[in-house]
Amino acid sequence: MSENLEKQSLDNNPDPNYWRSFKELYNDKETIEKKFHEFEKGVTDEFDPNENLSGLSRRKFLALLGASAAFAGVACTDYRDKGEIIPYNIKPEEITLGKPNFYASTCTGCNSNCGILIKTREGRPIKIDGNPDHPVNQGKICSKGQASILNLYDPERIKSPLRKNYNVFSETDWKSVDDDIINVLTNSGSKEIALVTHKINSPTTLKLLNDFKNEYPNTKIYSYELFNDSIRNSAWLKSYGSGNFPLINWNEAEVILALESDFLGADENRIENSRLFAQSRDVDSKKFNRLYVAESGMTLTGINADYRLSIRPEHQLEFVLGLISELKKKGVVQIPLDFNVNIYDLAKKNNLDSKKVDYLINDLSAKKGKSIIYAGNSLPEDVHIAVNLLNEILGNSKLYRKDSASVDVLPISNYKDFEELVNKIKNNQVAAVIHLNSNPVYHLPEDIGYKEVLSKFENVFSLSETMSESCQISKFILPINHNFESWGDYKTRTGIISLSQPVIMPLHNSRQLESILLTWIKKDSQSYSDTIYHDYLKTNWQENIYPKYSTSISFDKFWYSALHNGFISFTENIDSNLNFNYGAVKFENIQSSNSGFTLVLKESYSLGDGRYANNGWLQELPHPVSKITWDNYAAISHSTAKSLGLKDNDLIEVQVAERKLRIPVFVQAGNTDNTVVIELGYGREYSGIVATGVGFNANKLLSKNSDYSPWIYKNVKISKIQGKYILASTQEHHSFDIPREQDLHLKRHIVVEGTVSEYLRNPAFIKDKHQIEHESVYTPFEYKEVKWGMSIDLNKCLGCGDCVVACNVENNVPVVGKDQVLKSREMQWLRIDRYYSGSPDDPKISTQPMLCQHCDLAPCENVCPVVATTHSPDGLNQMTYNRCVGTRYCSNNCPYKVRRFNFFNYRDHFRNGYQENPVFALLNNPEVTVRSRGVMEKCTFCVQRISDARSEAIRQGRKVKGSDVKTACQDACPTSAIKFGDINNPEEEFYKYRNHELGYYSLSELNIKPNVTYIAKLRNIHSEEL
Amino acid sequence: MNASKLDFLLRSKLPLIVFVIIASFTLTYFVSRPERDGVGYTPDQPIQFSHLLHSGQMQIDCKYCHISVDKTRYATVPSVSTCMNCHSIARKDRPQIIKLTEYYNNNIPLPWKRIHKVPEYAYFNHSVHVNKGIECSSCHGPVEQMEKVGQLNSFTMGSCLSCHREAHDRFPELKNQINKGPEYCSACHR
Repeated sequence: MSENLEKQSLDNNPDPNYWRSFKELYNDKETIEKKFHEFEKGVTDEFDPNENLSGLSRRKFLALLGASAAFAGVACTDYRDKGEIIPYNIKPEEITLGKPNFYASTCTGCNSNCGILIKTREGRPIKIDGNPDHPVNQGKICSKGQASILNLYDPERIKSPLRKNYNVFSETDWKSVDDDIINVLTNSGSKEIALVTHKINSPTTLKLLNDFKNEYPNTKIYSYELFNDSIRNSAWLKSYGSGNFPLINWNEAEVILALESDFLGADENRIENSRLFAQSRDVDSKKFNRLYVAESGMTLTGINADYRLSIRPEHQLEFVLGLISELKKKGVVQIPLDFNVNIYDLAKKNNLDSKKVDYLINDLSAKKGKSIIYAGNSLPEDVHIAVNLLNEILGNSKLYRKDSASVDVLPISNYKDFEELVNKIKNNQVAAVIHLNSNPVYHLPEDIGYKEVLSKFENVFSLSETMSESCQISKFILPINHNFESWGDYKTRTGIISLSQPVIMPLHNSRQLESILLTWIKKDSQSYSDTIYHDYLKTNWQENIYPKYSTSISFDKFWYSALHNGFISFTENIDSNLNFNYGAVKFENIQSSNSGFTLVLKESYSLGDGRYANNGWLQELPHPVSKITWDNYAAISHSTAKSLGLKDNDLIEVQVAERKLRIPVFVQAGNTDNTVVIELGYGREYSGIVATGVGFNANKLLSKNSDYSPWIYKNVKISKIQGKYILASTQEHHSFDIPREQDLHLKRHIVVEGTVSEYLRNPAFIKDKHQIEHESVYTPFEYKEVKWGMSIDLNKCLGCGDCVVACNVENNVPVVGKDQVLKSREMQWLRIDRYYSGSPDDPKISTQPMLCQHCDLAPCENVCPVVATTHSPDGLNQMTYNRCVGTRYCSNNCPYKVRRFNFFNYRDHFRNGYQENPVFALLNNPEVTVRSRGVMEKCTFCVQRISDARSEAIRQGRKVKGSDVKTACQDACPTSAIKFGDINNPEEEFYKYRNHELGYYSLSELNIKPNVTYIAKLRNIHSEEL
Repeated sequence: MNASKLDFLLRSKLPLIVFVIIASFTLTYFVSRPERDGVGYTPDQPIQFSHLLHSGQMQIDCKYCHISVDKTRYATVPSVSTCMNCHSIARKDRPQIIKLTEYYNNNIPLPWKRIHKVPEYAYFNHSVHVNKGIECSSCHGPVEQMEKVGQLNSFTMGSCLSCHREAHDRFPELKNQINKGPEYCSACHR
């Protein structure tokens, strides 16, 4: 940010049209100047022709040497030799060369355990999609699940058992490790064996752990999750006496109030939540819910809100009780309790627009029984009880699902249990600590002292896929199979058990976690076999699950059909008798005091709790709100930044009690004043080459006892410190080459918006306002047969970025690294544009997926000097890599800025050739060319899928239909906002969206006739605001 | 240097040299063209398999071995187990079959020499062509008459396109069934 910006910002009033960052809002000269240039300054300066050309450098000498060797080699080889074709000796029955096989399995990326379909080609997994039959996620899967395939092929997975000798790990064999560990376990005597694990969702793993306990009676299981819903569930238990917090029919809610909750963004069930939520944002049925969000930091849920109230987290209890009091005062609800909280006082305290509060109260009373109030996992128990009460008295408990509920196979432990474990280790009462695919050294608060005490303890054994902070202090590291190499079953809700099955032989000398435990249970290192856990799982299903599933088919049939489907579903009664316990409603300290800042620690959108940190695709996925990649940061509000004299990229020190962290600042529009939001999952010290040292380890700020909740801390101090740290944000990349002008979005039709009431009054209002008919100088080309097109419903698009990762996986898009993102060279073919409008304190936000629009009159095609980009008769804008010579004229002439240039061979360039590792060759989609340096690339509308559909249609002797093809982004979109099909076929579902009354083309006045239709976003706000 | 010598060099010798260079280049270019395109390439195979015997005299259908030619873009070289369907009984005493059985029994991959190849960036699809009724021999030649298979036609983009453009002339019998082949880039390149 330039110096004069601060001065400007004091006297310049921000104008109310679209902006993407503060620099843009205040007309920062540098930023405006940048927009006139296609590429970032210095982007083409990598190779200075005057530099080092005269002398024969070592590099050049080697290059010459190599070249002459290559020439000599070429002269001597049999140039006609075309290599070999090596067929199978015995072809597996299910494999047809060139045809993918799909296997149903279960994702273990988080505790949602969504059903997945693993696409394999010739025995290697290449793509993950949701299992369309699975009742929870219904064919959709989040970005973490999509990208988890990169973890399978991660070249830095531990490849064989490691033993620590004098602080150095050396490879060893399974037998000696197993023997040593069995020896420790059998001689444990009365000492405890501690098994530290993430949450257990598998009934069979639980049975196995119980078997382990029977064999070694002093075993204790410690299970933890850095982010969990235990507070929500304990509040539910106090309110209703039994069960877990119920699942919610979001699709039936007409009014939703989310309190500090990211139920569409980072929460565990978000794929299902998003789907149900978007069902009531439907332009077909004209059904629109209204979302109120009261939160501190700007979240993915917050950017989709119709009304967003910016509230400090510690005021949430007051806010809920204020709502109850106000509703009681209005006679909407009758309760025998009185809280005497005035919501308008609170509104004043938080600078809230009292009109919004009025709307909220009116909506809640008007939609009694059809609304839902939902508190975030990080809020303390009191707030959850108050929310349960409010839902109860409004009759909203009707929206709780009666047919299914979430279940815990094994409830998680709390920090007290871990403190006890630490004490036991100190008192020499523990024989061994075994980490079961968990990383407590990184995840647990430092003041528990886990790391300290474990560093001095000898018998620490870690079962892990990759190196981690916990592995680092272990005596043995045992490599375990990736989920795609493993068997398993998972139960996270009543009536459904999902199965996972291996789709590839273990790539390394690793074993399945459960198999290792089984070997230890048998106390014989020779008892291991590849099928040991498979047999155990099958026996458990035969003995315990099959009998409950009263069916007449044989077990074998039952088992194989369950494996085929990926899950079984059955009726399981749940306690749907809800009686609210008014005795639980006792609140102290309703009015919260806070002398300093409030710190909110959040789960990272892409890295989860840090277990996906070594995944380049996820590191490079821009944050859905700030668009920052490769880092976490401290998000503070605009006015807080001003009062502290902070700018983007300034370093601050955050201090909670004695714990301190240095972290750069990012000024986030819409954040609550005096609140700092930091995402966890970054700052890994011992991980792979991708993750180590990326971001800042904010876990250091966690404490076992918080003054508010485990994730929210009050009385936090912030001080500016010397230095800067540059964050790589993509938010101003690929911007438009004109300065900001008044009502740019209306004039240029990038984002078109309206309100629901406007739409209901006049369904054609978008066309009336924005339709522009131009004459074209070109004679129109006649598209006789199929013509491909896409429609994107901005009402359903939440801006999550799942489509971006799906596109990366499908199209072999490389990771470029932070240094290249800073130069605006990210390679993602699809990006989510995010625009702010309105004031920096209460901005309105629009998101828009932007990809190649495959214009009929594409400007890129006219300027290519070598005809590398042309148009196909089915309406695709084609990119032919072999013809491209890299002039980048096309990118310069593209108004949407969706073309991406390979400035390097990024597979070689990123992290010293990390992606050139031979194992990554298995990951690539064999139907898509792997691009190298010097060529332009862009979205192809998944032309490989179109070709596939075409050849299948020819095989069946028919013409290809629009509905035969689904693009990767369409497959991934959790809300089904993306539709793809044939523009010329009126009988298809897609036709309706292509010609929708709310449909518009981005930048339609250019008259380049795009084939992507956007359905205008409607905000469900009160019409009197108009 | 006197003027007449320079004159001779420029007027007579230089054009001659230029002519000879261009002529020899052109001649070499066109004469070596088929060779450079791989036409006539007939490598030795690890097993002396005879298409003349199997496909010609015994009239085994191409698809018995090349199973996925009408299903996917690959024609598929058969797995050794396909050979063993017959040869676990038939002609077990012949040296080539003994060699084949050794590959099979010891589970050693059989490295056939590749004869026909289009570059990796071209996605040729067998099934589309076969399912449209194009004969294998249209590109591969009369394989059933070959003792040892070699490449007969060139597999360059030019050859693909010339057939795509003249599809109706080349296959008059399929005139009513097939359209002209696609000529747009993404039909083959993606």
